[in-house]
Amino acid sequence: MQFSIIISLLLHTGFIILTVMGLPIFNNQKIDIPPIVQVEILEITEQTNVPEVSKREIEEKEDSEEKKEDVKINQPVLKPKLEKSDEKVKDPAADEEIIKPEIVEKKSVVNMPIRKPVIKKKDNFDPLKIAELIDMAKDTKPIQDVKDEEYESLDSTDTLVNKLTLSEEDAIRSQFLRCWSIPIGMPEDDSLVVKVKISLRPDGSLMKPPEVTDHQRMNKPSQKYFKVLAESALRAVRRCDPIKTPAVERYDDWKELQLNFDPRDILR
Amino acid sequence: MKNLIQNILFFTLLSITNAVALIEIDITEGNREPLPIAITNFFYDDVDAVMLSEISNNLSDVVEADLERCGLFDPINEEAFIQKNAAMHLRPRFEDWRLIKSQALVTGKLKIVDGDKLRVEFRLWDTLAEKELEALVLITTLDNWRRISHMISDKVYERLTGEKGYFDTRILYVSESGPKNQRIKKLAIMDQDGENHRHLTSGKELVLTPRFNPTKQEITYLSYFKNLPRVYLLNIETGNQEVVGDFPGMTFAPRFSPDGNKIIMSLAKDGNSDIYVMDLKSRVVTRLTNNPAIDTSPSYSPDGKKITFNSDRGGSQQIYVMDNDGRNQKRISNEGGNYATPVWSPRGDLIAFTKNFKGNYAIGVMRTNGEGERLLTENWYQEAPSWSPNGRVLIFYRETPANEDGQGHSSTLWSIDLTGFNERKIETPQDGSDPAWSNLLQ
Repeated sequence: MQFSIIISLLLHTGFIILTVMGLPIFNNQKIDIPPIVQVEILEITEQTNVPEVSKREIEEKEDSEEKKEDVKINQPVLKPKLEKSDEKVKDPAADEEIIKPEIVEKKSVVNMPIRKPVIKKKDNFDPLKIAELIDMAKDTKPIQDVKDEEYESLDSTDTLVNKLTLSEEDAIRSQFLRCWSIPIGMPEDDSLVVKVKISLRPDGSLMKPPEVTDHQRMNKPSQKYFKVLAESALRAVRRCDPIKTPAVERYDDWKELQLNFDPRDILR
Repeated sequence: MKNLIQNILFFTLLSITNAVALIEIDITEGNREPLPIAITNFFYDDVDAVMLSEISNNLSDVVEADLERCGLFDPINEEAFIQKNAAMHLRPRFEDWRLIKSQALVTGKLKIVDGDKLRVEFRLWDTLAEKELEALVLITTLDNWRRISHMISDKVYERLTGEKGYFDTRILYVSESGPKNQRIKKLAIMDQDGENHRHLTSGKELVLTPRFNPTKQEITYLSYFKNLPRVYLLNIETGNQEVVGDFPGMTFAPRFSPDGNKIIMSLAKDGNSDIYVMDLKSRVVTRLTNNPAIDTSPSYSPDGKKITFNSDRGGSQQIYVMDNDGRNQKRISNEGGNYATPVWSPRGDLIAFTKNFKGNYAIGVMRTNGEGERLLTENWYQEAPSWSPNGRVLIFYRETPANEDGQGHSSTLWSIDLTGFNERKIETPQDGSDPAWSNLLQ
C-alpha cells in the first residue's frame, strides 16, 4: 500500500515537472527586471535661490513644498533688510562651528580682489525680485530687441572705430582660450552668438557684472542652447577676471568692451 | 523748442560717441576640456545616519561616475574640497570652490520622510556667477536611490549643456557567448551604466536587432522560429511575447515609429526585400518600397514624417530617405564606399550610419540631406550605431578577428560622443552586440 503511494507520488511529481518544463505557457517566464519606481519631483529653485536665508524661513519653505501648492502662493516674503547692512543676518544654520562671517569676508577679499561690496549689494538683495537674481545677465538698462541682422553684422565694424591694435585684440582674445569652456556638441545654429558687454577698471578687473546684451533671449524656453552658451560666456568672463589689458594710459579705449562669443565654427 | 532740439542733438551725439567707444572682440575659440564640477556627499541629520550614510556615499558616486563618463564634465577629487560643512547646501562659500577650479557645484540633503521614504533635495550652483542654477526635491522609496542619482545627473547635464540627459535610461543588447560558429545569443537589458543586468531570453533561439518602443516598456527584435527569422514583440514588464504579423516570407530589421504605435521592418520574399510598416493597433500592413533591390534597415525621423533606409538599388549599398508613405525616395550618401544601418537622430539633425570602405568599418554621421559627413571612429569591424535619447552619444558594437586557431574573436559594446571624442568601452558580463538605447524612463 505504502509502496504504491510512494510510486504514485513520484509519478505525479514527475508529471507535474514535465508539464511545467514542457508547456510553452510556463515558458513565458516573468522577467526579473527591477520595476521602474515612480519619483515625485518638486521644483524649489524659485523658493530657495535667495542668499543668506535664515533657518526658520527655510523651514517655512519646506512646509510649503510639501503641500505642493502653487509655489508662488506659498513663497515666504523675505525681508529686504537682509543685505542692506554690512552686518550679516545671523544664520542659525551656520551655527554649527562653521563659517564665521568675518572669515568669509576675509576670504572673499583675498581670493576675489575684483569684487566690490557695492556689487555684492546689487547682486544679493531685493529678494522680491528673485527672477532677476536668477538671471545674472539682467540689468536695468533698457532692453534692446536684437534682430537677425545683428547676428549677420557681427563682423561689420562700420559703426565702430577700432582703437585697439590687432595684437592687443589678440592678447585679450587669447586669454579666453583658457577661460571659456565651450559647451560642445550643440546643434548647428547660425544665430548662436552671445554678446557680452564688460566694463573694466584700470587694473583690468570687472567694474560690474558682465552683461549679455540679449538677455531676454536667455529666458525664452525655446532658447536653451543660447542660455547655456550665454552662461558659459559669463563664466568665462569671470574666470578671466582680471583681464590683462593694454596700457593703462589708454584706459578710455578699453574700459568698455563687447565680447562676441561665437562658437559657430566650432560647432560645424 | 530750441532747447528741445539742442537736447535731442546732444543725446544723439552722446549715444554715437558711446557706440564708437565700444570695441568688439570676437571670441571664436575656447577650451574643449570637460567642465570641472564638484559633487559633494549629500548631508543628512544624525538621526537618519544609519539608513542614509551609505545612500549618501553611493548617490554622489553614481552622479560622479555618470558625469565623468559622458566626457563633458571633470569631477573634482573630494579630497580637494575646502568647504565640507552642511551650510554649503544653503549657501556655498563660492570662493572656496573657485579656488579648486570648480565651475559648478552639486550639493544636497537627504531626509527620511513618512517613515520609509527618501527625500532628496539637490542644488546645482554656478560658482563663478555665484548663483543657484537648479534646485529640486525628489521623493521616492529608499531602495530607489540609484534611479534618483541618475535623475540628478540628468538634471545637472541638462542645465549645463542645454540638452536632456541620458542617464536614467536602459540599454538593450544581444549578449553573446561560445565559439564563433556556435554563438549562444541572448537578449539582455541593463541600466546605461551596466547595473541591474538581466537576460531576457534563454539563448535557445538566435536573437538579433532588439529595439525599444520609445513610449512603452516594450521591445521588438528578430528571432528565429523553425529556422525562419521573424519579428517579435516582448513586453518587458509582463514577459508576454508575440510574433508581429503572419507573413509569408521572413521579416527582419524591425524598429518602432516615434509614437510607438507602428513597427517598420523589412520583409523578404522571393529573394527581394522591401520595407513595410505595420500598425500595431489595427494590424494593417502597408508596403512602402517596391524595388527589385534589397531595401532594409528603415528608421523614422523623430517627427515620424520621414524614413531613412538602406538600399543597393544603385549597385552598391547606400542610404536613402523617403516620406513616411514611401514617396520621394532619394539617395543621400555620396562619398564613396558602402553605407549601412542608417539611424535618424532623436534630435532630428543627423543620420548615423556604418560605412565600409578601404577594408575598414567606420561609424559616422551626416546631415539628413547627406551633407557634412563625419566619420567618428574606424576599426576592423564595427556596426549598428544606436543613439542616446538626446542625440548626443552613439552606442555600437565592435568585433575583433579570430586568429588561425579560431581564438581571439570578441564582440564588445562601445560608445562615442557625437563630436568624435570620448570613445569608451561599455562593460558587459559577456560579449555583446546590437545595442539599443531606451528613452528616459517614465
